[in-house]
Amino acid sequence: MPDSKILIIDDEWESAIVKAVQRRLQDEGWQTIIVQPQSQWLVGDEFEDATIYAIEDERPDGVLLDVRLGEHRDDQFKGLEILRQIVEHYPTLPVLMFTQYAQGPARDTAVRGALRWNAPVDFIDKLASPEEVVLRLRRLMGSSPELIPIGAHLLVDVGAETVSARRERDAVLAPVTDIHGMKFEIFRELAAAWYRSPGELVPFSRLERYSEGEEARASLRVRIREIKISIGRALGVQLGANDLIVNVRDRGYRLAPPQM
Amino acid sequence: MSWSLPRAWVHPVGPGGVSRLLGMVVLALGAAGLVLAPFVGEAMFTRIWGIEPLTYVGAALVILGLAVTTLSYFVSELLRSRRQAADEETRFAERWTQVTQQYFDLFNHDLGRPLRRILGKEREIREQLQAMGAEVPPSVRELLDEIEEQTPSFRLMMSNMQVLIELETPITGKNLHAVEPVEVVRRIVDRYSLVAADASKQIVWWSEPTDFGIVYSDSSAIEHIVTNLVDNTVRYAESFAEIGLTRDENNFHIRVWDDGPGIAARYLPYLFDRGWTPEVARHEERTTSGLGLFIAHTLAKRYGGDLTVESITDPDPDHHTCFTVTLPLHTRPGRSSGEPVA
Repeated sequence: MPDSKILIIDDEWESAIVKAVQRRLQDEGWQTIIVQPQSQWLVGDEFEDATIYAIEDERPDGVLLDVRLGEHRDDQFKGLEILRQIVEHYPTLPVLMFTQYAQGPARDTAVRGALRWNAPVDFIDKLASPEEVVLRLRRLMGSSPELIPIGAHLLVDVGAETVSARRERDAVLAPVTDIHGMKFEIFRELAAAWYRSPGELVPFSRLERYSEGEEARASLRVRIREIKISIGRALGVQLGANDLIVNVRDRGYRLAPPQM
Repeated sequence: MSWSLPRAWVHPVGPGGVSRLLGMVVLALGAAGLVLAPFVGEAMFTRIWGIEPLTYVGAALVILGLAVTTLSYFVSELLRSRRQAADEETRFAERWTQVTQQYFDLFNHDLGRPLRRILGKEREIREQLQAMGAEVPPSVRELLDEIEEQTPSFRLMMSNMQVLIELETPITGKNLHAVEPVEVVRRIVDRYSLVAADASKQIVWWSEPTDFGIVYSDSSAIEHIVTNLVDNTVRYAESFAEIGLTRDENNFHIRVWDDGPGIAARYLPYLFDRGWTPEVARHEERTTSGLGLFIAHTLAKRYGGDLTVESITDPDPDHHTCFTVTLPLHTRPGRSSGEPVA
């Protein structure tokens, strides 16, 4: 979801690891806000107050929250206390716990506590790649957004049921005119799966719902070929068998953003 | 000043209480026999036997009663002390696990600190190289990739240590809850996609049905099992790895397949042994701990499932290795068997 606002609460906000994540979130088109306590004392309670204030003030779409906030013994699991408050007061706000305690007793304590199984809360290791953080946040904030950007050259608008593309030399996206109806549904399914998890394959059984006639598989193959021709033309490139929509071991298709 | 009857008198029925009560009844009968013997015995038995047999019967009963009472006391004491020792042992094990886990958490956090710094700097170098717009020599890129690639292995190593502590604990319960297996697999693929891509390998996953739903299981255990399998698969795959998720009436299955050179049939029986790696068999330097498959297999069994392997070796053109983990769907209390939570 472009233009989303993400709150980052980490006592090591100047560290290279947090900066790398922040840059990747910004690359995704998200606005990042680092929560810094007003006081010079970087202890857990200060972070707690600053976080609640920032949520009220900024109304973020997601929160990236560390567990250990400060070096004091009492602050070792301060993030879990803040999490409990967020869950209580803002139950629909997605929270990604960004912590070295992504597994084990700390996580279990939190899960056994106030969290419902479907609460929009997840844990991720601090050593996770920025890419993983983005993917996890995408899913927490809603895995099927209205706009799905596929690289810099393709955009799927789910609401308007259009696919837009731009050539390397062009500055703006233009609608790909002949992808609509069932062809759009097929491409939307593939784009949504890719957005959730780039390795996700959509089995034939799911895509064949958008095919007609007795030979559903053959009909699907034809539609996929037509989609690739249309998008290839709009991008000004010829898309081969392993470009954009790839047949994986005759089990299903997956999206592979065009390398341009 | 207050006094009270011995607890065993007041509450004679309890552990060992029945025999104690019986002993006391026999003791009372014996004592009554002794007291009554001179009167009743004379009148009833003098002419028959010329002695007072009730005296002997009473004495025998007294001895028997004393024996039963004493025995029941000692038996119940013995049982109680054994129970106490077992409780003590359980408390100690719980405390041991708690303390070990706490130490491990601190160790994990502190060991992760320098690693996070290294990783952060590596990402910063990439950023700066990109900002400079200069062509990065492939050798430099490879060095940076190497740092990034070691991270999932480190993360797995730490989580394996954590699971090992749990497995070594004498008392571990199953932590069953609602789990979305599709999300567990997604996370693992997220983690390994970059590593696979850097090694020019492709990793894909699918689920059938696509709306897989929820099962009642342990997400942490599933994650440990599948992460170990995927880590192996990405390491040994030639160019392609696939994770498939299916379910039937009672179980769900996660199949981890790779197009690697395969595992020789003679090694398969040892694959899930603790510490076994292919290098052990070849007397070479070990590159892995050999704990991953052991942990995966042990966890699958602990949760009432199984982990199996099937492999075809090179030079067969269809060479591959396929691990299949099968876990029960489980039902919530009150649901009929086979009815999934979804």
